[in-house]
Amino acid sequence: MSPQTCILLVDDEAAIIENLAPFLVRSGFQVKTALNGEEALAAIQSESPELVVSDVLMPKMDGRELLRTLRRADNWIPVILLTQVGEAFERAMALEEGADDYINKPFEPHELVARIRAVLRRAKPGKPPLSAAWQLTCGDLSFDRRARRAYLCSKEIILTPKALILLEYLMTHPDELVTRERLLDVVWGWDYPVGSRAVDTRVAELRRVLGDDASKPRYIETVPGQGYRFAADVEGK
Amino acid sequence: MRLRWFWVLLPVVLGTILALILFLTDFDNSLLYAQADLGSILFGLGVIASILTAVVIIVLEQIEKIQINATIEFAENRRRFLRRLDHELKNPLTAILAGLANLSILEDPDERAVTLESVSTQVDRMRKLVAELRKLSELETRPLDLSPVKMTELLEETFALIEDEPVARERILTLSIPRAPWPLPTISGDYDLLVLAVHNLLTNAVKFTEPGDTIEMRAFEDGSQVVIEVADTGPGIPESEIPYVWQELYRGAGARGVQGSGLGLALVRAIVTRHEGEITLRSRPNEGTVFTMRLPVRM
Repeated sequence: MSPQTCILLVDDEAAIIENLAPFLVRSGFQVKTALNGEEALAAIQSESPELVVSDVLMPKMDGRELLRTLRRADNWIPVILLTQVGEAFERAMALEEGADDYINKPFEPHELVARIRAVLRRAKPGKPPLSAAWQLTCGDLSFDRRARRAYLCSKEIILTPKALILLEYLMTHPDELVTRERLLDVVWGWDYPVGSRAVDTRVAELRRVLGDDASKPRYIETVPGQGYRFAADVEGK
Repeated sequence: MRLRWFWVLLPVVLGTILALILFLTDFDNSLLYAQADLGSILFGLGVIASILTAVVIIVLEQIEKIQINATIEFAENRRRFLRRLDHELKNPLTAILAGLANLSILEDPDERAVTLESVSTQVDRMRKLVAELRKLSELETRPLDLSPVKMTELLEETFALIEDEPVARERILTLSIPRAPWPLPTISGDYDLLVLAVHNLLTNAVKFTEPGDTIEMRAFEDGSQVVIEVADTGPGIPESEIPYVWQELYRGAGARGVQGSGLGLALVRAIVTRHEGEITLRSRPNEGTVFTMRLPVRM
């Protein structure tokens, strides 16, 4: 990671900026801050950061509106949203409005840094991220995000709601090691006593439906002791 | 309350019985003609109208009273919850304040590391509390992820999770699930949430028992329900505390000093209620406790 990578941190809570900004600096980033969406827009103009980390609930202009304004202006600067609560609705909204990723408060700062690195690695300058695509395609497998349906060889596949969210997340984060904890946070929204097992059960369901062999996976690869990785190339539309 | 409506029906029933007797027997069922002057009829109608109005007023008042009581109860619940939340936050916060004060004067790196560790434990405690609160509030509103749930599989899996824990190995754990004449039915439910509920009951049983105690989980089919019991030979819950254990953040005298958010049973109850089931408990001090969860099969 080049030490010049500039990140704009947007949050109306001074305590969060005060503690998070130095941590990000120590993690090797250059950090600019803003207290709301309006300030953020101005800072994006003047500082041209490479990535924005933004809270959702803020006065004047909230994170969601900031995101909408950027995307309407065809500005595809990577944005990570800090959602307030783990509500599925809010996560879905974050995706719809073209966020590159999201992380639930409260979070471990290390986790945020991992997210930032992953998003920067994935981002293609000036182009919409996969997470903002309506249609995801990977060989015979396709995912229609508007209708929330998945197809294999043009035939619809039947998945439980959780497996569907899991597949969506994996497909929008190809070639990235996603930990079980992260998947839990994404799919369940809160920690769960039998968490890792629940994730494994859903991945097993996905593999069964996709006809994927765990020892020679076409789609979902197991990273022993860590998590999963969507190993195939994904095209977004 | 219900019983009172019986008195409303009583005159109708009596009248019907008398009429039937007259119709079906040889008693003299003669035609009667009644006559009255207009003044008396108007007076009579006035009395009847007044009685009906009185009845309507009484009913409305009762409804209002029930609503007021519900509001009072709601306010009382809220106050109680805030008081408990305040209490739950105070302890970790006090520890964090003390830890930070220590950090500002401590110089020895080892001592600093110990203090940091303890502060981060307290932060973790608060984080868990917040996560549990969120879980509870989401549980009450988010749609259930319903699918056919094989009860035998669910109970065995959850039981295995508990058995794996080191503290559980010091207790005598048994699981009894019927296989004959037929296994437990498949029910319609949210698999993950049901695992969470059963897991919470088992975790509680482990938490409140001593090494050597017995914990039994048994399940059986009862009509259109699946009944799951989690029983332990722990210290039991005093009778006076039993109605309160389901409340958020409630801690009985025996639960002080035991790790936990105080939300476990509230979560269990919320999950069971969402599944249109019911959960009850029986307990005897110094003998133990048994939780009984009933879930409708409805497939």
